[in-house]
This record gives sequence, C-alpha cells and structure tokens, in this order.
Amino acid sequence: MSPPLFHRILIANRGEVAVRIARACDALGITPVFAVSEADRDAPYTRDREVVVLGPARAAQSYLDVRRVVQAAVQARCSALHPGWGFLSENPLLATLCAQHGVTFIGPPPHAMALMGGKSPAKRAMRDAGLAVIPGSDGPLASAAAARACADAVGYPVLLKAESGGGGRGMRIARAPGEVEAAFTDAQGEARGAFGDERVFLERLIEGGRHVEIQVFADRYGAAIHVGERDCTVQRNHQKLIEESPSPVLPDDVRARTLATAVAATKAIGYVGAGTIEMLLESGLEGRPVLRFMEMNTRLQVEHSVSEQRSGLDLVILQIKTAAGHPLPLTQADVPLDGHVIECRINAEDPDAGFRPAPGRITDWRLPDLQGGAIRVDTHVAPGYVVPPHYDSLLCKVIAKGADRAEAIARMLQALGELTCVGVPTTVSAHQRILASAAFREHRYDTRTIPGLS
Amino acid sequence: MTRTASAREHDATLALCADGVGLWTPWVAAGQVVAPGQAIGELEVLGVSERVIAGGTRAGRVVAIAGARHHRLPVDFGAALVTLDLALGVAIDAAGPDATAAATGGGLRFVAPSSGRFYGRPGPGKPAFVTVGEVIAVGHTVCLLEVMKTFHRVTYGGAGLPERAKVTAIAIADDADVNPGDVILHLEAVP
Repeated sequence: MSPPLFHRILIANRGEVAVRIARACDALGITPVFAVSEADRDAPYTRDREVVVLGPARAAQSYLDVRRVVQAAVQARCSALHPGWGFLSENPLLATLCAQHGVTFIGPPPHAMALMGGKSPAKRAMRDAGLAVIPGSDGPLASAAAARACADAVGYPVLLKAESGGGGRGMRIARAPGEVEAAFTDAQGEARGAFGDERVFLERLIEGGRHVEIQVFADRYGAAIHVGERDCTVQRNHQKLIEESPSPVLPDDVRARTLATAVAATKAIGYVGAGTIEMLLESGLEGRPVLRFMEMNTRLQVEHSVSEQRSGLDLVILQIKTAAGHPLPLTQADVPLDGHVIECRINAEDPDAGFRPAPGRITDWRLPDLQGGAIRVDTHVAPGYVVPPHYDSLLCKVIAKGADRAEAIARMLQALGELTCVGVPTTVSAHQRILASAAFREHRYDTRTIPGLS
Repeated sequence: MTRTASAREHDATLALCADGVGLWTPWVAAGQVVAPGQAIGELEVLGVSERVIAGGTRAGRVVAIAGARHHRLPVDFGAALVTLDLALGVAIDAAGPDATAAATGGGLRFVAPSSGRFYGRPGPGKPAFVTVGEVIAVGHTVCLLEVMKTFHRVTYGGAGLPERAKVTAIAIADDADVNPGDVILHLEAVP
C-alpha cells in the first residue's frame, strides 16, 4: 500500500507556478495554502484560497525569507511545502530547515541540491556519470598563471566563470593568451562583489550552439526516467522565449544515447523528484554534433508543461506523490512521447521598446480557443489583475501540440492571434514574428540570434 | 532580539501590526496604556520567541488584543496585534517627517516615470548620478529604476521642466520603492 498523501501543502511561490501547484493539489484532494507577499494578497488567483501573508512586497522580506516561509508552513499546519521555481526553489537551506521543523520539502534531498548547486562539483559528478562536459579547468583556478596554462591547453576563446555565479554575472571571455590575466582578475572581482565567492573556473567558450535540456524524474527507491528533451534555443538575454520538444535538430542516435546517459547520471547522484539537465548542443562543424552538460536545475521548470503535453504525465502530481514516498508508478517503456509540442512564454513586456517590462492593470483578458485539447494555457492572470512591478513579467504560457512541428506552429499561431490582453503590452507579436520566420522554420538560429527578430 | 510592531493609524485608533509571520502571545491587558518602545508581547518563529515592542510615535490605551484568550496565536505579516485608542492615551511629541518636504516646497519637481526600485548610483561605492547643488541638463541620468528584475536608466527632462536646473534635494533614498509620479528631485531654475 502506498503511504498516505499530505492533507495540506504550503505553496511558497506566486503567480503562474502557484496556480499550477494548486491545480495538482486540487486533483489530489489536498488543501493548498498560498504563502503570499502583501503585493499578492488580493491577486485574483488567491480568491477563495487559504492564504498566509509572509511580509511586504519586496521578495527579500517575503518569498526569499527562508524563516518566514518555513514558519508559515508550520503555523498553517502544512505537512509539505512546494517551492515552485525561482525564489528559494534551489536553496538547500530551505530544504534543511523544512526537515528540522517536520515539513516535507517537495524537491530533491539537500545533498543533491548542494552538489548540483556548485558548478565544478556538478560538472565533475556528471562527467563521472558519463555525460560529455565542456572542456576546461578541473575546478576553480588558483591563479592567473594557472588560468593561462589551462586556456592554452583547452584552446581559445575561453570563458572564465564564477564558481557561485549566475545570471550572466562574474563571466569574462578571453580570445587570446594576452587577455587571460585581465579576464581572470575581472571575473574574480565581479564574483567577489556579486556572490561573496571569488573562485573562478575556466571553460572553452562554445559560441552559438543550441540549448537542449533533458527532463528527468526519480523516486526515492532508485528508479528514474526521462521525459524527453526540450529545445530552448530561442532566448533573449539568457531568458527563454520558446521551448519545444522534440528538438528539431538533434540526430536520433545522439538523442537516444544522451537520454539514457542522463537517466543513469540522475541515479548516480541519488537524485529524487523532478530535475532538468541543461546541455549545449555544439553544432557539428567538426563532424557529429555533441551535447555537453552545462548545469542541472534541481526543481520544476517553467517549461515542464512541454514535456507534460508530450507524455501525458502530470509532473507536479508526480512530485507530490514522490515526496510522500510513493514509488514511480511507471517505467521508461510506459512514457509515451508523441507529436511535437511548442510553448511560448507570454510576458508583460513591450517588444517594440526593447522588451521593456510593463507592470500595470489588465482590463481585458481572454484566452484562445483550446482547439479540442491541442492548446493548453497556464496562467494566473484574470481580468482586473494588476501586474506588480516587484516580480518577473510572465503572464501566461501557451502550449500547442501537433502531429508534427508544422502543425504545432500553425495551431500556436492561431491561438496567439486569439489571445486578448488589454492594459499592458505583451510579447505576443514577437512570438508571432519568430514563428512565422523562415529562420525558425528552417532551424537557422542559435542561442545568440532570435529567428525573425535579429 | 526584539521586533518592532509597525504602527498603523486609523481615525482615533492605532493598530500595532506584526512585522512577520509567527505565533503571537500578548503581554498587555485591556485598558493598559502603551507607549512607543514598550514591550507588548512575543512572537515565536521556528521555536524562538522574540520580544515585540510598540512602534510609531504615539501612546494609547489598549482596546483590543489579538489572541487574548489563547496564547501562541498564528498571525500573518501585517496582522493587528494590539489596538490602541489614541483619544484615551497621551500624545508623544513627534518629529515631523514632513519637515524636509516642506522646506523645499514650491520649486520644480522631477517625478518617477514608472514604479520600481530606486538606485541613485551605478553600483555600490560608485559616485551618485546626481548630487545636491549640481546643475543638470536634459538627458542627464538621474537614477536607475529596477522594474521586474531589469534596470532602466531614467534621464532628466519632460514637460514643464527647463533645459537646465539646479538640484536642491533628492527626495528618494537608495533602494526605496517608488510609484509613478513620486517626486525624485526637487529643483530650481537656473538663470
């Protein structure tokens, strides 16, 4: 007999993901409790829901305050906590504090989070598990001279990266031997200021390439599956705009081999729950294209819905059941991956003004026709919703499925044409230009160029 | 460690509100006079109890207490812990926070074009974009506004403002949240 499920789950997040988690709770008969900031307490998506106000609008005193979040779970009598994505979702301290206070953290164990949170340890673990990695230094560099020697060995250009970095900070490129010392010193300085950790490591710089990631899932008993890959190459400033599955450019043999290795790696590190192994597809200039490990995200991702639409699985329900101690109810052979799925992230940004974020009140909001189930829309927005200036600008995700890529694109374009949002500008028009472009349809783009826009 | 309950005034009453989530146990009784700085109870967060003292600038007589009958009441951020009747209390001399605004009244104002978090300098330890006494011209960077995790440069200029003006005061502190129309700079025209 499976262990009983939780009765009450604290949702330690906001917006779209909070609504997504609540939907899974509703399906399982679990009461969700929304931990909110003052800015979100009256948001339409918390209406008729149990709410705990954590603190003021500022995330540092609400959604990012570990003690407030755990105390909210305890006093709201929640036996589990779902961190969503962003905010504290990859914070091992939250997982540890939850454990101390008898709240089940819906996510991987703290040791797996901590291992994947360090850039060099993660890379080493994944290399040992059989994944290709980007050639570079074995861990942080001791000095500029060591950086120079390593750069000479791996070949130019190279990228110097902060060990504790993120968000594009603490990174410097050196294109020639003479640039290494300055790049090392600058990256170190920026890393010290931004992350309080001046350790820097080095990798060969792979310019362009495509972003391909693998959705994995593991239970507590050593079983693991993959739910296919997602191609997230269409990005702007490292922010994903469009995700799709399968990747339209990945050769079948590379796909099969990498998916199998990713599952083995997931087992090897003792991972539990939903995770994503992000990889860079190096274009096949010297022959076969190769997928190289970049990092592992130890949480649910925004684009998990793409894999759900291809497989029919509900990853959030699986997360909750796994956290409650249920074994994976299926094996790899039971995971169907059919058709082609595309997701567009619709943000409150003005594509005609350099994608400037645009908070404000949404006066009219209407969803597109769901085309008999081929279209899915995930959103927390309702008419009258005020997009607060404090958090990210995601309004909704539109997910389209077709028998093939062309059909998915056609359905997406129809849905985007029907989506109505009055009050704030949205990125819909940018998505329409991308999807209609020859560059997108003929795969002529990489992470540096946006098809149809660049 | 102590926490300060923030004071929220409404008509003749003043609510002392929780500064976080936790389990609240009051120490005061109805009818008691509470002054700013005085302990009113304790808030337990993850098993640790911290003293809660009254904030604000005014004293009053206790007319309502959250959880008066059961100790360790779960409270949200912003919940009213103790309500004071100001008419029955003693007014404490309050230093007017409006003093600075009044002193610079009547001059030109440069206001925030949108909401966001205000940064008066390009980075920590860097010189400020604008200093008091400086003469700035149209196009001069006034501040950065962080809106939805991205930074936007705000430049001087706009309807009703002269080509050049002298900064007499900077009305927003670094790291503060601003709303559209909030005054950022007080200015005076230069001949």
